Order: sequence, then structure tokens, then C-alpha cells
Amino acid sequence: MASVFLQSIFHPSEIVALVQYKFFRPSPVNFIPPEQKAKIRCYEFLSQTSRSFDAVIRELDDDIRDAVCIFYLVLRGLDTIEDDMSIPIMKKEPLLRNFHEIIYKKGWTFNESGPDEKDRQLLVEFSIIIEEFLNLEKKFQNVIVEITNKMGNGMADYAKNASHQEYGILTNEDYDLYCHYVAGLVGNGLSCIFSASGLEKSELAKITEISNSMGLFLQKTNIIRDYSEDLSDNRRFWPKEIWSEYVDDLADLKKPGYEIKAINCLSTMVLNALQHIPDCLTYLNKLQNESIFRFCAIPQVMAIATLTLLFKNHNVYNSIVKIRKGETIKLILKCTNIYEIANVFRYYTRVIIKKNDPKDPNFMKISMACGKVEQWCQTNIPDIDSYHLSTPKGLDKNDNRLIFVVFIILAFTAYFLGYELNN
Amino acid sequence: MVENYLIIGGDGFVGRWIVEMLRKRGERSIIVFDLIQKYFDEEIKHYKGDLSNYDDISKCIEKENITSVIHTASPSHDCKYEELFWKVNVEGTKNVIEACLNFGVKKLVYTSSSSVVYDGISELINVDETAPFPQKHMNVYNETKAAGEKLVLEANGRNGLLTCALRPCGIFGPNDMQAIPGFIKVMEQGQSKFQIGDNENFVDWTYVENCAYAHVLAVDKLSKENQTAGEAFFITNGTPLPFWDLVIIASLTELSSNVTGKEPGFTRFRVKFTTTNRYFNINKAKSRLGYEPLVDLEEGVKRAVKSVINST
Repeated sequence: MASVFLQSIFHPSEIVALVQYKFFRPSPVNFIPPEQKAKIRCYEFLSQTSRSFDAVIRELDDDIRDAVCIFYLVLRGLDTIEDDMSIPIMKKEPLLRNFHEIIYKKGWTFNESGPDEKDRQLLVEFSIIIEEFLNLEKKFQNVIVEITNKMGNGMADYAKNASHQEYGILTNEDYDLYCHYVAGLVGNGLSCIFSASGLEKSELAKITEISNSMGLFLQKTNIIRDYSEDLSDNRRFWPKEIWSEYVDDLADLKKPGYEIKAINCLSTMVLNALQHIPDCLTYLNKLQNESIFRFCAIPQVMAIATLTLLFKNHNVYNSIVKIRKGETIKLILKCTNIYEIANVFRYYTRVIIKKNDPKDPNFMKISMACGKVEQWCQTNIPDIDSYHLSTPKGLDKNDNRLIFVVFIILAFTAYFLGYELNN
Repeated sequence: MVENYLIIGGDGFVGRWIVEMLRKRGERSIIVFDLIQKYFDEEIKHYKGDLSNYDDISKCIEKENITSVIHTASPSHDCKYEELFWKVNVEGTKNVIEACLNFGVKKLVYTSSSSVVYDGISELINVDETAPFPQKHMNVYNETKAAGEKLVLEANGRNGLLTCALRPCGIFGPNDMQAIPGFIKVMEQGQSKFQIGDNENFVDWTYVENCAYAHVLAVDKLSKENQTAGEAFFITNGTPLPFWDLVIIASLTELSSNVTGKEPGFTRFRVKFTTTNRYFNINKAKSRLGYEPLVDLEEGVKRAVKSVINST
């Protein structure tokens, strides 16, 4: 924890956010009766497989929390099979294609994952997930089955395609399709769950192109960020159509001597992701339920913050670039309404504008993409600037109090550190 | 019915593009009215005349049995003679309307300007057509363009005449005498140090071909049913940019050549222009006129700069 504070030492507002998050925020208490052992185990799996999703799922309303949790775990199981390079394609393909039927088979488990698969235990105990899946209301089961069916077949098509195995993703169209299968469908499915629960309008389930964009924006940001990790595992998700304009091989981008090309290629990837933002904002603007809003908004603001950090950042090619924990917390605390979210997006697109370089071949297109975000905000939230002006006062007061607390803590720490050193 | 088109200001920057566009789609009857003649095309009849003289324009309309008028004529906004703005933009426009009413013209499309809603002080953020004219206009150009627009829209419905007005913002393009060469000059003289603020002000631009296209759409779609008659429409490229981005890219694109534009680099008007937000919501044009830009901003800048380089 101390190192997290240290990272943010030059960003006092993040220190404030960290303190606020750690000490002033009630953590959700979702009581599950001890006799519901399967359900308890499911939530344990959830926290083991993804800390970030665990936190946001736990804060969802009771009506949908279990459905979203099981949806997530089912897809995680599917993903673990897809990811596993030790399973031969002959075996993998039918598993992927039939996974939507497997989830009805009571007692089904899978022990053949490679030893390195970090979520192999989930499949070893998969009968528990199935048990809880069958406890869900029929309307939620139907959504999960439909999406699992589509995703499993999409993944199987991708895995079977020989050129994908050799070169990775080829065209931008392939790229969008792949991201649709692994992430866009999650957006579609979640929207159906929200609508089916009655917490959101039925319209939400129908705007599939827009909910698809929600997934694509997240997935594309991750794909850009994970360049070096994926490449070392021999996974190639950057579309050839983009990188072949700059280099002969995707791996060349990280080599010395290719720095300018690497940065320009990175800009093309970032631009490709930026274009989904207006859709993402449109989606968030349609949400009515507070817990669903936070659930959807948090990953989106993380993505724009990350994407901004990746833009023009050559470290992408050698390491995993991540936003500071303090920045993350500050962003999470902001996810309260569309005004805050739109301002977060505007803030980061303005940072992108500042980092944008006229010598970059995508300079104008990036500018235009950022201008679209600005115009989206003004068109769809006409009073956004007056919100911006009216809120800081209230926040300031709060901030000042917190800053005071932080300084007291820091002063004590300094005192004790000094005391120890002197002795 | 065969339309007889009259383009007033058809030798001007926007006017010429409209003439070309109509010609390209095979219109047979295109007439141009302008103060001077710059283009000599066999199949296009040209009338040289002064708008402030009623007989000049009415004779043309009567003789050619004009059915549709597109009125693009106006002195350039950095013209120094204030009375000329009144003479052309207001008196001239009155004459056009009179002639249209007297000789049974069916449609009149007027090239207004996005600056009719600008008071010289306020920010223009995503402004749409519900914004009123300011109490006090920034300059006489804006004031007279607004007066002309008002006259044109008030004439809608009289004697079977349908009218509308287009309000383009920041028109630029090949052979442009105003925007691009001026920017390049600014950069050359190192005046970009005047960049104020942090380039966070967004500004709209319109590539000239898109502007011309909007005019052609307006003539085609002008009717009561389309809710286009008697209406004004903002026209832009639909992609506002941080102001300096277009300036910088235009200048970089021509970096190798040494252009000396005829425009003085940085008039007071332009300084003001560059430090405020100035962009518009064009949904009305999109939904009622079916307007979508044909050429995106990046391509437009490329074409415009190329012509500047070629001309020197």
C-alpha cells in the first residue's frame, strides 16, 4: 500500500482519492447463507479470476448480481479452453462449439487444461458453476446460452483458421470480428441481462452495435497494451493491415532502429480504438440504474486513461504500461453519472490532443476523433459545461478536509521515520 | 420540369464549385451572374452585372426564365469599405428577392455565414439553428450577412417562392484566397507563438466542395414538406478540430515550398477567431437536407495545400 501512495506523491488529488477509497467508503456486504456452498464457491472463483471484475460485480443490484457473476465465470471457462495452447485443435474445436450445451450437463468437469493455465481449477470444479447456472432464472439462462454459443463458435472459427495461427489477425475487419467474439458479445449479453431484469429498458438489448462498441473499446485497449506479453506467448492480435504499413514483421516494432515507425504504428492502433468512444458514451448515457452505470462506466474510464497513457509511449513495446493505482481509484470514484464520465473522456482526449504530433501520419485523423468526442458531449449533454462549473465548489470543501487528514498522516509518518532513523 | 439555374457570384470561390457540380451532373441550363468574368465556358451563359443595380439582375432572371437561384455573392469579409457590405449583402439581396418575386422564380438559396450568430465575444459551442442573432454583431460583415439572410427567409412563401439559407463555417479549399495561404504566412513569420491557451478550442471547417454540395442539396430538397423552406442550416465538415491542428498540418504539408500568400498573416479578426470555440451542430442539415460531407477534413487539407504549392 505504501508504494501505491508513493507513486502518487506528485498527484495530491490521487492521494486524496486513495485515502477516501480506503477509509471513507463502505465496502459492499453481500450476505450469502452458509448452506449455499456452490454460490459461495462461485464468488470465490470470481475474486480469484479477476480482481477488477470481482469488485464491480459485487456492487451490482441483487436482481442481476448472480446472473452477471455466472455469465462471467462461464465465459471465463470458455476462454480458458480457447487460450490453452496445450489442447490440440481436434479436441478444442468441439469443446468450444458445444460449450453452450455443456453448461446444462450436471456434473461436467474438465481436467485436461495445461498445467500453466491459471484458471484451470475453475474447469476442474466446473460442475459448481453449472449448478449455479441452473439455479438462475430462465430468462438469464437463455442470454448466457445464446452468447456462449456465439462466442464458442466464433472462437472455434478463429482457432481453426490456419492463417490466423501463422500470422495472427490479418485485416481490420478480422480485428473487429475477433474483438466482437471475445468482447463485443459480452457487451451484447450484459445488455440483454440488464434489459431482462427490468432494471434497464428493453431497448438496451436491441442496440447491439453500440453495446458491441463497449466491448471493442476495452478489448482493443488491452490488445495494444499487451503487445509485448502477447508476442512473447506468440499471440498476434495487432492486425497485419495496420502494422504491415510500417514493418515487415510485427516483432520488428520493438527492435532498435524502428522507434519512429513503432510510434506511428502505435498511433494507428490508438486511432482505431478511439473511434469507438462516441458509441461507448451513447451507451452509458442510456443507462438508468446506478449500479449498472458504475459497472459499465468503470472499465470504460480505465480504458480511456490507459489508452491515453499508451499513446506515443514507446514503453508499450518492452513492458506492460499501466495507470497508477491512485489514478485508478480517482477514476472509480468519479463513476457516478454521465456528466463526470463525459468530463473524464474529454479530459483524456485533450491530453491526447496535446501529445499528438503533426509529424505523425495520423495527426489529423486523431484530432478529428478527439473533436468527435468533444462534440458528442456538447450535443448529448448540452449543460455539461454548467455542471462542470457548478460542482467543484462542493468537491473542494471535501477535498480540503481530506488533504488535511492526509497531511496529518504524512506528518506522523515523517515523525516516526525520523524517530527511527535517529535511534 | 427542366430547371434553369442562376448562380449569383458564380465566378467566386464557392459559386464556381456549385457551377461545376451542377454541370457534372448534366444540368443543361446553368447561368452565371457576377461582377467580373473569370471563367469562360461555352455552355454556360455569363451575365456581368452589379447586384446593387436592380435592372442588371432582373433582366438576367427574366430573359433566362430562371427557376432556381443560388445567391453566393458577397464582398470578402476583410474588404475595407463598409458601405460595400450594405450595398451588396443587403441592397443587392433585396434586388435579387424582388426580381425572383417579379419573374416567378420558384427557389432561392442564399449563402449566409455561420458568423451571423457571433457577437465577437461569446464562445460558439456546438451551436444549432435555435441560437438567435446577437444584439450586436461583431462586425459589419456579420451584420449585413444576417440582414440579407433575414430578408431571404422572410420572402419564403411569397408568390410561390421558396427560400432557405446556408450558414457555412470556415470554408477552405484549392484556390482559396483567404484561409490556407493566410495560415501558411502566419507560420512562416513565426507568428504561431501567439498560440493562445492550450489548443483546447475547437473550430469547425468546411471543405469547399462540401459547401457547394450542400447548396445543390438545398436547391433539390427545397420544399414545405421537407421542412427546408424558410429555414437556415449550419454547414460544416462535421468534425471540429483543435484550432491549431489544421493550421499546423497545412503548414507542414507545404513546408518544402516557399509560399508567400497575398493575405496578411494575422488580422485582428483572425486572432479573435482562433482563441474561442467555434463549432456547430449540423444535425438539422443532415436530417432535412440529407447532407453528409463528401470529402473529409484531412483529404480537404491535402487538396487545398497541394493547390497552394502548385500555384507558386
